[in-house]
Amino acid sequence: MSTETNYDLTRAAMEPGGTGEVMIEIHDMDKWFGDFQALKDINLVVGKQEVVVVIGPSGSGKSTLIRCINRLEKHDEGTIVVDGVEMSDDLKNIQEIRREVGMVFQSFNLFPHLTVLDNVTLAPRQVRNWPKAKAEEEAMSQLERVKIPEQAPKYPGQLSGGQQQRVAIARALAMQPKVMLFDEPTSALDPEMIKEVLDAMVELAESGMTMIVVTHEMGFARAVADRVVFMADGQIVEVGTPEHFFENPQEERTKLFLSQIL
Amino acid sequence: MAASTTAGGPRPPLWRDVRVLRVVGQIAFAILTVAFLWWIWGNLTDNLQSRNLPTGFDYLSQPGGFIVQYSDVTSSTPIWKVILTGVKNTLLVSAVGIVLATVIGVLIGIGRLSNNWLVRKGSALYVEAVRNIPVLVWIIFFFSALLLPVLPVVEESVTGDLFVANNRAISVAGPTTPSGGAGTLWLLGLVAVLAGIAVAWWRTRRNVRTGQPHHRVIWGLLTAIVVFAIGFVVAGVDVGLDRPAREGFAVTGGFALSTPYLGVLIGLVVYTASHIAEIVRGSILAVPKGQQEAAQALALSGFQRMRYVILPQALRIMVPPTANQYLNLTKNSSLAIAVGYADVMQVVKTVIGNGRPAPQNIAIAMAVYLAFSLTISFFTNLYNRRIQYVGRS
Amino acid sequence: MADTTADRDMAAETAMPGPPDPPERPQVARLTPMEWVRENLFSTWYDTLMTVVFGAGLVFAIYRGLRFLFVTGRWEIIDRNMTNLMVWLWPNRPDLLRPWVALFLMVAAVGLLAGRAVRVAATVAEEAGEPIEELSWRENALRVLGRFWPFVMLLVFIGWYSGSPETWLMELLVVVDLLAFRALALRLPKAVADRTGLIAGLLFLAAFGTLTWFGGHGWDDWGGLMLTIFLAAGGIILSFPLGVGLALGRRSSFPIVRTICVTYIELIRGVPLITLLFMASIMLGFFLPSDFNSPAGVTRALVAIILFTAAYVAEIVRGGLQSVPQGQIEAAQAVGLSPLKQTRLIVLPQALRNVIPALVGQFISLLKDTSLVAIIGQFEILGVARRITNQGDFAGQGLLAETLFFAALVYWVLAYTMSRESQRLEKRLGVGER
Repeated sequence: MSTETNYDLTRAAMEPGGTGEVMIEIHDMDKWFGDFQALKDINLVVGKQEVVVVIGPSGSGKSTLIRCINRLEKHDEGTIVVDGVEMSDDLKNIQEIRREVGMVFQSFNLFPHLTVLDNVTLAPRQVRNWPKAKAEEEAMSQLERVKIPEQAPKYPGQLSGGQQQRVAIARALAMQPKVMLFDEPTSALDPEMIKEVLDAMVELAESGMTMIVVTHEMGFARAVADRVVFMADGQIVEVGTPEHFFENPQEERTKLFLSQIL
Repeated sequence: MAASTTAGGPRPPLWRDVRVLRVVGQIAFAILTVAFLWWIWGNLTDNLQSRNLPTGFDYLSQPGGFIVQYSDVTSSTPIWKVILTGVKNTLLVSAVGIVLATVIGVLIGIGRLSNNWLVRKGSALYVEAVRNIPVLVWIIFFFSALLLPVLPVVEESVTGDLFVANNRAISVAGPTTPSGGAGTLWLLGLVAVLAGIAVAWWRTRRNVRTGQPHHRVIWGLLTAIVVFAIGFVVAGVDVGLDRPAREGFAVTGGFALSTPYLGVLIGLVVYTASHIAEIVRGSILAVPKGQQEAAQALALSGFQRMRYVILPQALRIMVPPTANQYLNLTKNSSLAIAVGYADVMQVVKTVIGNGRPAPQNIAIAMAVYLAFSLTISFFTNLYNRRIQYVGRS
Repeated sequence: MADTTADRDMAAETAMPGPPDPPERPQVARLTPMEWVRENLFSTWYDTLMTVVFGAGLVFAIYRGLRFLFVTGRWEIIDRNMTNLMVWLWPNRPDLLRPWVALFLMVAAVGLLAGRAVRVAATVAEEAGEPIEELSWRENALRVLGRFWPFVMLLVFIGWYSGSPETWLMELLVVVDLLAFRALALRLPKAVADRTGLIAGLLFLAAFGTLTWFGGHGWDDWGGLMLTIFLAAGGIILSFPLGVGLALGRRSSFPIVRTICVTYIELIRGVPLITLLFMASIMLGFFLPSDFNSPAGVTRALVAIILFTAAYVAEIVRGGLQSVPQGQIEAAQAVGLSPLKQTRLIVLPQALRNVIPALVGQFISLLKDTSLVAIIGQFEILGVARRITNQGDFAGQGLLAETLFFAALVYWVLAYTMSRESQRLEKRLGVGER
């Protein structure tokens, strides 16, 4: 691939950041959609409390990558290990990983037939079997964390996009996950609402949450990311700190991409 | 890269393996279904044998032992042939019904969007009055409450020059070829149609080349008529008129439309037309308003807007539900049984009444309707696939 | 999602989901009656032609209709047979109290449900952040009359032609019953109101019990309008679980389950109801073990109706399932819900809410289809209408038109009102707009 001398993709990808303890380990992962290979030889290790931002052109496999981590897509080859649990066909492992991994979607995917409070308490009540009072207490504290406790009795349809996305974050956090996945959380928002969602994500990152964020918000990547992963054509092309990545990119693809969007 | 290992690593215990669960679940479901069908089948054969009824279909070649009005079925006709006559009658009422219901339905559907207040309200009245009353009520009404009481008994038939009408049948005159040559006429018709199509095609080509209006429908029709007329004169086929006549209790000649047939037909048409009208209206209204405006902005005339922009789009919306109405009409024709029209259901019921085994006979009737349904939905799907928008794959 | 059969037939009975009647021409300046007539009836020569032809036909039809209704119709056959038309040979005529009590219980349940629907509509409007329009008492009354005039008409017809004051009194009581329970539903505390469906269900059950339990009569002795409504309501309710199961099976990722469900659905939808009714009425005995005590006529008809309706309900529910976005299922998976809970808590509630109008459409369709049991010798309202023309006093006098008219009127009032209400509901719930 690259002929650059002092840049080692494998090392950059496999060295966990954060506390240095491993949270997510992905080895040699491939993913096919029919005849189309969506992911090729993905290797990535994410450390505890690390924030990894994944960027790349559309269709590069960013979303597929994080959707494989909680089995919204089934990977075909290789291994994914989340907090010591391997993602396999074992029903128990799948449920265990999903319990520990929260996800925020581009289109929010709030449940429209439930109130905000019911949206947030649903999983703790149904999956963790918490008593109602405890689930509601936790839900309210998460809603306060994203600064919209007053919206609890409303329905999602009554909220703005930014508010809905913050509810979605609270919904994921209410399960007290160890990892949070963000799939382009601000792409469907009007510009004036992006900041309130990013603020909530920054606060979350500062609190020490392990996060993988697929986004086009370069400002967020620069400010919060421990490492930035650049993907193209289903492969990880370059991995590095924000400084390395934005100031001194090594690969031609990366340079081209950055020149197009900055 | 590393050796190709299947994702998943160590095998989990069987009862937690999603792959195993999938297979086991399906097999269990299949076994339950098969066991249920097996049980039913066992009961069926046991019951047939204990009642001394045949378990096969051999009885079909035995004589039916009853006659069917207005057909060549006599009491010695084998059962399979009798059932076939029933199928033919079902087809006859369905095919004619579909054509008439479409014509009337389209007219009323467009009428509901008319600028004329009276036409608009009258059409709405028709639709709302008709479709909320069961089709069976309509069939019984037209046959038992309208045709039967209004038409006279055979002895007092209303007889005109070209028709004989009584409460058994309305017989109308029709063309015949007393000295043969019907085949020639059909061939002539075919040639005329082909000639018309060829001329229409030529007019279209000319329009493409020169931009002159094509008027291809008028040209094509005229050509076909002229070709047929010339051919008719040249061939000199002797065409006569087959007039119905009454002699005592029998009407001979002409084409007999039995009152049960008319009752079923009118009932089906009236009812189905109201549903088709709703589909037509809904489909035209469902074309976005922007399309109309865009066409106006391109200076297309009212007719052109309808012909090139609105109708093609409305048609896409219209076809699946209309095909479904055709299906419904065909299935509803089984209600002929209520007025004694010898469709497949009525025939099958009579056969069962004569002591033949019910399971086989009803299975045959179901298979016939299923075949009709599958045929219609096959053609609908074909049409749908052709007409679908080409979208992003 | 190319599928083997036309997907849209669920809309067959509810009107096409298109927009309502084309709006009248915008009235910029008020037209004088003459101008209006010219504009709307005689604007061009072919317009005039259509007006004349159409008008002539319409006038003739209305003239014949009115003449039949007020002059030539011999309505004493309806009057004499009103009880027969409603409950047929309800075994002990002195026992008519039971059907009456059952009727009042059912009307109460309908009233509760109507009130509940108003409240739900308000909640939906609130969900969508729309203001709720406030109407004065008078506007409300006018609107209700505009919606339910067919029922009023039916009541007047029955009252008028039965010619007895008790009929009017009973009709009044039915209306009062309905309005009282509707008002009650609007004022119930929320905790109780949320269980309106359950309460209504219990009332229906009580109505059923009134007819059957404690020395009553099972449905094999039923007939008339009572049987019509029982077959339609019982058919749709009892076929619902099977229909939902088939729909889920058809959408399942298990190929074998899917194939079996698709085969069942397409097989049933490909044949007319009458073949199933025949199968049930003459063949049920063949399918069950010979020592099994085969059920009687009405039960058999009900079995056929359930098997038939389930296939159609399945297709409707499948439409609802497809209308739930994939993102909803992904979100449910992502928070760790098991497949069963994903379906029960997330997918089905949204899917079923979306298909309520289509289900009402299917109910209307079924209500009309119940007339077919007349062919296999059951005396629902159409069967009664045909049979009473053979009574000693009326035989051979050609009174079928009168009795058919009455049966048709009943069907029409029920079907028309329900389809109108279902369209309103559709609009209120904003189905297809989310």
